[in-house]
Amino acid sequence: MTKKKLSPAALVLLLAVLVVLAAFPFIFNSYLLQVAVYCGIYIMLAVSLNLLIGYTGIFSMGHVGFYCVGAYTSALLATKMGMPFIVCFLAGGLVAAFFGALVGFATLRLNDIFIAFATMGLGEIIRIVIQNATFTNGALGVTGIPMPEWFGRPMNRVEFYYMVLIIVVLLVFFTYRLVHSNTGRTWMTIRDDANAAASLGINVFRYKMQAMVISCFVAGLAGSLYATFVQYINASNFTISVSTNIIAMVAIGGMGTVSGPILGAVILQILPEAIRFLSNYRQLMFGAALVISIMFAPKGLVGLNWKRIKPIAKLCALFESKSGKEE
Amino acid sequence: MTMIVQQLVNGITQGGLYALLAISYALVYGVMGMVNFSTGSIYMLGAVGGWLICHFFIESFFLSVAVGFCVGFAVAFILEKLAFRSIRGASRISSLICTIGFSQLINELVALTFGKATKGMPSFFSRELFSIAGVHINLLQVVLVLTVVVILIALQILVYKTRMGLAIRTVSMDNKAAGLMGINVDQTISVAFSLAGACAAIAGLAGCVYYRSVSAYMGWTPGIKAFSAAVFGGLSSMPGAILGGYLMGIIENFGVQIFSTGYRDVISFFVMIVFLLVRPQGLMGKKKITKV
Repeated sequence: MTKKKLSPAALVLLLAVLVVLAAFPFIFNSYLLQVAVYCGIYIMLAVSLNLLIGYTGIFSMGHVGFYCVGAYTSALLATKMGMPFIVCFLAGGLVAAFFGALVGFATLRLNDIFIAFATMGLGEIIRIVIQNATFTNGALGVTGIPMPEWFGRPMNRVEFYYMVLIIVVLLVFFTYRLVHSNTGRTWMTIRDDANAAASLGINVFRYKMQAMVISCFVAGLAGSLYATFVQYINASNFTISVSTNIIAMVAIGGMGTVSGPILGAVILQILPEAIRFLSNYRQLMFGAALVISIMFAPKGLVGLNWKRIKPIAKLCALFESKSGKEE
Repeated sequence: MTMIVQQLVNGITQGGLYALLAISYALVYGVMGMVNFSTGSIYMLGAVGGWLICHFFIESFFLSVAVGFCVGFAVAFILEKLAFRSIRGASRISSLICTIGFSQLINELVALTFGKATKGMPSFFSRELFSIAGVHINLLQVVLVLTVVVILIALQILVYKTRMGLAIRTVSMDNKAAGLMGINVDQTISVAFSLAGACAAIAGLAGCVYYRSVSAYMGWTPGIKAFSAAVFGGLSSMPGAILGGYLMGIIENFGVQIFSTGYRDVISFFVMIVFLLVRPQGLMGKKKITKV
């Protein structure tokens, strides 16, 4: 395979985006900083769900369950045992991955629609058990989750923002490498035709399990970040509607692309904040996003033929003029 | 003993609602091969339609049922014409995403116009009919059970005895071959889908009368539970779905007695997952063999 090289113009654009993100805390107020952190957390969730829905063809509707497990593991370790943040963070991911493996072991042999409902059922079971169990404080939730400490003092929100930014950038880079690796291509083969993949000698179950574990690990990390940032979690924050919101982000951005879920998460998180009157219609907007993306843009925003619009076509030509010939 | 019989009576009443919803899933799954996630929303619309009639017009149970039927039929008809017809060729995941979107859209639109607060429903037939050895049976329970049974029988006659029903069964078997045999596939799917919607809406109406409350988000849980019931009985068989619905209602009521009420919703999910793992075709469904 020939590698596509980024043209200088595209590199400049990428750098500019990174610079703006790095300078974000100095330009905007602390409320927008909070929005940005949520945005980062949702990017993690959307990217990880995309590994399942977009690349492997596992339609999981229980993603919120793993997010919830990650958040609770991290919160309980931090408040009850006083563990440092890095331990809580990794434990959140690992426990979520372990639950992912269990759920995967139970559901991954089912066909597509039944996987959706089985994972949704398991996600709900996780939430209901957490809501009723005593070691999780039941319906009261976990309060007073400490911010991570470094240099002997708790981190402030700006530093937390930078930490999330770095994690998200690393995650996106890792995902990009992963889906262009052998494993990623195997996943896509399974997505396109599982029977054909099996007859080529691919161990379909093993690869699906791998995708499930990686995806749930990332969801758990996102849950840990959320719990630490909000400092208070409650089982009612983790209902199915969070799952459908993440699905909306993946679907509107573009399933099976690296940039799609990022775009979707950013748009659907920022839009209600940017346009004031939309904030009352948040869930309505997510529903509309789901319907529109399937009916009018099945490949998502990334997959639309933007070049039909002339100014954009010219802009694209600027970016692609050199990279096209090098292949 | 008294407790067991009482729970059985409650379970059968509640199971009737699940049976109506489950048959709605089974009809759509049969003709279109997709799971209509917005069934729960149509359930809610039926209830809201009934509430509007009772609130603004006249407090009549049977008129509400008729209105619920019309609302469900009309909404499902429009949804199918506008949306699901155009995505029929898409993958099952895409159509599922689309129905999830519609479900959310309908719920939120109703929440905006109707209000997010739970509203009370007038009580019908609240007189206690009889009580034997401590088992209380309401007139309402009898009416609900009879309504559901009448509708289920009517549906069975429609599907197994009429030409339309024959067309529906044929399309369920193989819609391409059905088209070649001169059956109007589009029309058949439209009728089956609308009937499924009507069933769901009547279930919703019965549900709101039974629990005496209406709210914009009331369809979510029964919708998912009824899907579990349909899987339990067999998604590809209509009698299976009915059986699954009734059994699920009974199991749930006994489960609540054994465990605490906090775990009420876990029971149906648990049954569904166990059946998906052990017997994916359900109690009465036939096993499908995938051919490449």
